[in-house]
Amino acid sequence: MSDADAFLRVTDVSKWYGDEQVLEDVSFEMDRGDVTVLIGPSGSGKSTMLRCVNRLAEAQEGSITLDGEEVLSPDTDVDELRREVGMVFQSFNLFAHLTATGNVALGPRRVLGLSEDGARDRAAAQLERVGLGDQLDSYPAELSGGQQQRVGIARALAMEPKLMLFDEPTSALDPELIGEVLEVMRGLVDEGMTMLVVTHEMSFARAVADEIVFLDDGRVVERGPPEQLFERPEKERTGRFLERIASHD
Amino acid sequence: MAGATRPQTVAERAADAEASAGRILLVAAGALFWGWLVVSWVNRWLGGPLVPVGDPLVSPAAVEAALGAVPVLAAVAADAAFVIELTPVLAQGTWLTVVITGVSLVCGFVIAVPLAVARVYGRFSAWLSLGYTELLRGTPLLAQLFVLYYGLNLASYVPGALSGVFARDVVWVAILGFTLNGAAYQAEYIRGAVESVDEGQITAGRAIGLSKVESIYHVVLPQALRYAIPSWTNEFVYLIKYSSLAGFITVPELYYRADQVATDTFRYTAIFLVLGVMYLALVLTASKVMERVDASVAIPGLGADRDR
Repeated sequence: MSDADAFLRVTDVSKWYGDEQVLEDVSFEMDRGDVTVLIGPSGSGKSTMLRCVNRLAEAQEGSITLDGEEVLSPDTDVDELRREVGMVFQSFNLFAHLTATGNVALGPRRVLGLSEDGARDRAAAQLERVGLGDQLDSYPAELSGGQQQRVGIARALAMEPKLMLFDEPTSALDPELIGEVLEVMRGLVDEGMTMLVVTHEMSFARAVADEIVFLDDGRVVERGPPEQLFERPEKERTGRFLERIASHD
Repeated sequence: MAGATRPQTVAERAADAEASAGRILLVAAGALFWGWLVVSWVNRWLGGPLVPVGDPLVSPAAVEAALGAVPVLAAVAADAAFVIELTPVLAQGTWLTVVITGVSLVCGFVIAVPLAVARVYGRFSAWLSLGYTELLRGTPLLAQLFVLYYGLNLASYVPGALSGVFARDVVWVAILGFTLNGAAYQAEYIRGAVESVDEGQITAGRAIGLSKVESIYHVVLPQALRYAIPSWTNEFVYLIKYSSLAGFITVPELYYRADQVATDTFRYTAIFLVLGVMYLALVLTASKVMERVDASVAIPGLGADRDR
């Protein structure tokens, strides 16, 4: 896993908001097709770390390479980078004025330059893929939270990304709607999608992750395969966190 | 929708009937008003095929005779005839009022959108936008018109292509004044709406690879401009009435015409009463039209929440 040409390599990334350090020398790496799950208490910097990968947040120190290219370099075309890195948000952030199809088609149409018809076809195919083939013309406000998040996933997939970032994709959902979103994500795992996921869904993390990275206070406390981290955590802090989470499950 | 199947109470049915009667009355009044205006304008443009240019569409004498024959209405017959006599002048003035308002509103909008966007998303440009808005909103509109007309004498600099479109070039000065001033007010309404669009929307746009400008154009503005419609309608309504200030720089719009006739005839009450009704009709039309526009572009599933 620590071979020289890892697909995504995060090395000693640090970030401050003003005087407050939110990330401190965070390092991990993943290969193509890997699923890495970032866990940790709220405020631990997981979401910020995720956003540094597609430069929605700017890291001040360290290095992030994606497919051999330095992401943090000032020469990096961020729009180009984001074309290749899909992102799914906690609060869905669907474009409120567009139908499900419109939401998914906007990127292919305006960013990839597909024709109107081509973009619609691609959108329909992606919505079909997340099980929303019957909601093509629905507006976000007409969909349930679970359906909205699946549109969000389809929107990211439509750009044919080589890496998918999930920022607490189920945290804003009612419990009975979480399953349908996790199911779609499992499907992506099965298809071999490379995924970096921030989540509190421990059973999901355990089932699909190749590696779990436990962050606390902006630092990587511990990382390793799920069996190791969940069964025999090396650090006492990891154990405490997992216990607290488990008691809420 | 669920309530539609419930049988109505007697009171509800009566209220419904009353509401639809009111609507029919309003539509009929609107049709009469706009019908009269459009026929008057067309008659003038075509050189008077219906009645000689400058004559009312119906003869004042005939109206006076008809009303005089009805006992209750006989008292107002002379006044009615006087008003009918005014109608060609009023129609002419209304044409300018409508054109000045419409053109200024559209041109102002074109300036207002970038002003609002700059205000929310710009750095240096936000200060420029703020400065412009405060200057134009903080000084009297009439003073602005005086500066443009008397101070800068812009009426003599109207470019050739525009010169002669209206009977007098000063109309362009009025349009410029209302455009610049209205843009500041429109920008404020649009800015509020732009700010109300959730920040996550632009983040999501950026996340699929749209640039900031593209995200604003494709994601933020289509939502913000919808949300802005109800408050923006205020500016539309104000502008219809404020356009009367053009009369003070000698633009022969509706107010100017009425004032002239009043000065000549001394029948101030009757004339300004009619003038008030004319503006009221224009304003009601504007707000009804914008209500329709708002409803027709409402985002499905969102409209109901927004009204609450």
